Amino acid sequence: MFLIRTLHKWFGLILGLQFLLWSISGAMMAMLDAKKVAAEDSERAPPALSQPLSPIRLASLAQSLDAPILRARLRPLGEHYVYEVETPLDLRLFDAATGAPVTIDAPRAQALAQAGYAGSGAVASVEKVEKVSGEVRGVTLPVWRVAFADPDHTTLFVDPRTGAIHHRVNDTTRTWNLFWMIHIMDYPNGAGFNHPLIVTVATGCVWLALSGFILLVRSFRRQDFAYVLDPIDKLRGR
Amino acid sequence: MATAKKSTIRWPAWARKTHKWLALIIGVQALFWMLSGLYMTAVHIDIIHGDALVRPAPVLPIDPASLRDPAEILARYAAASTIKLDSQLGQPVFVVGEGKKRVLVDARSGAQMSPLDQAAAQDRARAHFAGPGKIVRTELLSVIPSEIKGRPAPIWRVEFAGRWRPTLYISPQTGELVAKRHDLWRMFDFVWMFHIMDYEARVDVNNLLLRVAAWMAVATSLTGAWLLLYSFRRKRRVRKPAQG
Repeated sequence: MFLIRTLHKWFGLILGLQFLLWSISGAMMAMLDAKKVAAEDSERAPPALSQPLSPIRLASLAQSLDAPILRARLRPLGEHYVYEVETPLDLRLFDAATGAPVTIDAPRAQALAQAGYAGSGAVASVEKVEKVSGEVRGVTLPVWRVAFADPDHTTLFVDPRTGAIHHRVNDTTRTWNLFWMIHIMDYPNGAGFNHPLIVTVATGCVWLALSGFILLVRSFRRQDFAYVLDPIDKLRGR
Repeated sequence: MATAKKSTIRWPAWARKTHKWLALIIGVQALFWMLSGLYMTAVHIDIIHGDALVRPAPVLPIDPASLRDPAEILARYAAASTIKLDSQLGQPVFVVGEGKKRVLVDARSGAQMSPLDQAAAQDRARAHFAGPGKIVRTELLSVIPSEIKGRPAPIWRVEFAGRWRPTLYISPQTGELVAKRHDLWRMFDFVWMFHIMDYEARVDVNNLLLRVAAWMAVATSLTGAWLLLYSFRRKRRVRKPAQG
């Protein structure tokens, strides 16, 4: 038992800080409302469009493509219908009525973001993000970043290939991201949560928790529970 | 027990006492947190997602000249707002979206294929499955099991022979692979339940139990750090009434 106490003490000294960081970051993430973190309150459903009257045939698009069609999708985008065509080379958008190529440039990204935004703020900035940051983790880059001037600093990310709103963040998301980074020890940003450092520290902390658990058995004596046990004994007439 | 002088507080004793009482309450959960965290970090998320269970989608060029006119499909399904062209089993298909409803149509003949029968679902599952195992069980579920919660019912569940009970879910409406599951995923979901302490639905990361327990864990580690201050000495402490 002395050995376990010594081990608990030394593991606590070496790994205790991470244990504390895990509990604080975990507790903070538990406090932040998941709906707020996902910026769900800023979501606006796209307008319902009536069916396109006469979409062109895919065959007429094939001429303007340099590669064979693998998949395609006819769907609404903003106020029009588009074809999203996938070839071995890339993904491209065409106007479904005219067949004209559609590119998601800055004004178009802004318009799409505004259509999907339910808040009160005006657009504060539109920029193309080319580098990974806490806001764009696991996203195919580049991506359009459309920031709104509201109290939460809501920001929408628009995929330049499809025009879809990829994800949205606000100040709560940013706070959550910080604690998540601490929680998964993602110090070289973007490594995810399956790296050797965290597995090693987690293994050590399993022992920290287990040794603490074993110590509990020895740390309590009958007198610790006397205020409960004494009356019970009395009732039993001992 | 040695008693302190009235005017002095025995801080080491207090640190030990608070640490041990907090640990008594939170100890089991702390162990659960560590073990579940270890599992989730040690087994790579791509393995959990079952990426290796399925083959990559084949690159199959589609000849657009052979396809039905999308306008014809739209005329037939009046509520349709999306049409997806894809390949299934080497044949071009349209997946027509009417709100949340989906219909599968042969893109060459225009014939409706959905809802798919058992053989059609099995063919698709076999085409996706990357392992050597054969199908051991196929069933059409009308109630969505918890491991694919949120997906539309009914759904074909196709289980294969092999390690970790690999299971593919095929939609009878679209013919598409909806989810892939195996025991490593199921284990992840199980330990995730312990990690977020939502012992019912396994989704609520803001539940009161978790919040209270997490802050108690903060208090336990803080009192542990406090206790560390008294735990490293050159000489072992002599048990005596506290000196001023």
